[in-house]
Amino acid sequence: MSDQPALRVVDACKTYERSEHAALLPTSFEVARGEFVSLVGPSGCGKSTLLGMIAGLLAPDSGTVEALGKPVTGPGEGRAIVFQDAALFPWLSVFHNVEYGLRAHKVPKAERRERVENALGLVRLDHVADKHPYELSGGMRQRASIARALVMQPEILLMDEPFSALDAQTRTILQDELQRIWIETQPAVVFVTHNLIEAAFLSDTVHLLSSGPGRIVKTYDIDITRPRDEADPALLELRHDMLDRLRAEVDDDVERRAQAAEVSAL
Amino acid sequence: MSTTAGKDRGTAATVSRGIGTAMLALLRKSWFVIALLLLWWIVTAAGWVDPYKLPSPGDVLGTLGTLFTERALLTDLGATLLRLVEGWAIGVVAGVVLGLATGRSRFLEEGIRPVIAGLQAVPTIAFLPLAILWFGFNGTAVLAIVAFGTFKPMALATYGAMHQISPTLLMAGEALGAKGFFMQRTLIFPAIVPSLVTGLKMGWSFAWRALMAAEIVVTGAAGLGGVLELGREIGAIDVVMAVILVILVVGIVTEQLFFTRLERWVNRRWGLVGAR
Ligand SMILES: Nc1ncnc2c1ncn2[C@@H]1O[C@H](COP(=O)(O)OP(=O)(O)OP(=O)(O)O)[C@@H](O)[C@H]1O
Ligand SMILES: [Mg+2]
Repeated sequence: MSDQPALRVVDACKTYERSEHAALLPTSFEVARGEFVSLVGPSGCGKSTLLGMIAGLLAPDSGTVEALGKPVTGPGEGRAIVFQDAALFPWLSVFHNVEYGLRAHKVPKAERRERVENALGLVRLDHVADKHPYELSGGMRQRASIARALVMQPEILLMDEPFSALDAQTRTILQDELQRIWIETQPAVVFVTHNLIEAAFLSDTVHLLSSGPGRIVKTYDIDITRPRDEADPALLELRHDMLDRLRAEVDDDVERRAQAAEVSAL
Repeated sequence: MSTTAGKDRGTAATVSRGIGTAMLALLRKSWFVIALLLLWWIVTAAGWVDPYKLPSPGDVLGTLGTLFTERALLTDLGATLLRLVEGWAIGVVAGVVLGLATGRSRFLEEGIRPVIAGLQAVPTIAFLPLAILWFGFNGTAVLAIVAFGTFKPMALATYGAMHQISPTLLMAGEALGAKGFFMQRTLIFPAIVPSLVTGLKMGWSFAWRALMAAEIVVTGAAGLGGVLELGREIGAIDVVMAVILVILVVGIVTEQLFFTRLERWVNRRWGLVGAR
């Protein structure tokens, strides 16, 4: 493996049209090949914006995003993304949903079939391949969405709060499965979440972002060996640490806003 | 889903019981229609109205039979339906294609959409004199009116539907490598199908209304509208009413039975109802 990182984000920032403040201040970080990185931060701090820029769905105002050594100018090229609401195509069966990206890339039919079956096996959805999304539970839909990304054999897997719409139990199960899948397939992952324990459990590195406007305020390296256990005391301790830090950030933020309001009132 | 499964599994007894309750339900829902028919029958049988103004239900039914056997009303019905399907199909294809194009290009959208929206404010039948001048006093003019009447709502429905596609679905497709025509064919088009089906149904009822109006004016070719107008000319009110009955049945059968079912099927298949 080359020592070139999977992802290199340099001073990427974004202000949306018709918006007064920046969604994301210049942000830099790297993701090594096969590394699992989480982005955690309060709502509206620009996590989805950052992920969208990495996915190539959104262009940064300035700064650069490099994937596998090449500047990102659009979607594709070894990157796949999983959205919070699964975003499955409702008119296609699970099988055809997972097959979609392969069809877009003109992969021959026989190979498509094999890869789709593999991907469905990875997320344990073989038995519902012919069902339509509306016939699935929320957890199954999210698995299908993960399979749809995995089938592309991405070197970089982007996940935007993939489990946040699920109940606690399903969520725990899927976290375990994701850990297993990641160990088996070893993509670099950028994982967005609000859930600190989830971030700590899954990641090699966690970046804490602050809001209004967003930027990385602290980075945690987690070198607990895998497979990990969610109840590991070391993880709980980490979570505490991050929580304190986040609280401080939110307080800071409230204070800063209050000050700004006072200034503008003068 | 549950109804078909139920039918499959049902024994003869449950099926006949099912039919019995269905009949009862139908009776309960159509009490007003039955009352109207009864009133019609009483009024005519008692001789309270001039039969030249309002013939009895029996007479109308009799005339209907004669029309089918002697005046080959079936030919007229066939001609009308063929024109309806042809005009509607032309209008649908043209409307969907233009709708897709305007939904994809800002340039086309800004130029074309206001024009179609404006035209939609003019009842289609107002264009009939124009169509007659262009195509002659014949079936082609009627066909053009039907196609045009379908085209407008269809283009607007397609265009509107394209703006309602979930942005996340579009992003998902884009991220998976879909673009250009592949994207149109496999994502944008299927995504708008539920709205299109609603558009198809609406287009059909617009087409049906425009067709009848046009046929009454352009009576040269075979068609229900022509028979209707003929009935008026010779003062045969029973013919007029019999044809209205046929028009009513065609409208109900196609709109309610066919399109409503299609709509329900698509909505289920697309997970818009019964999901979760
Ligand atoms: N398309 C858009 N147009 C304008 N503003 C936007 C758009 N998308 C996001 N924003 C704004 O940019 C900021 C960052 O949004 P973003 O969605 O990246 O946050 P997030 O960290 O993903 O939040 P959440 O955790 O709630 O998903 C927010 O203030 C949001 O209101
Ligand atoms: Mg977000």
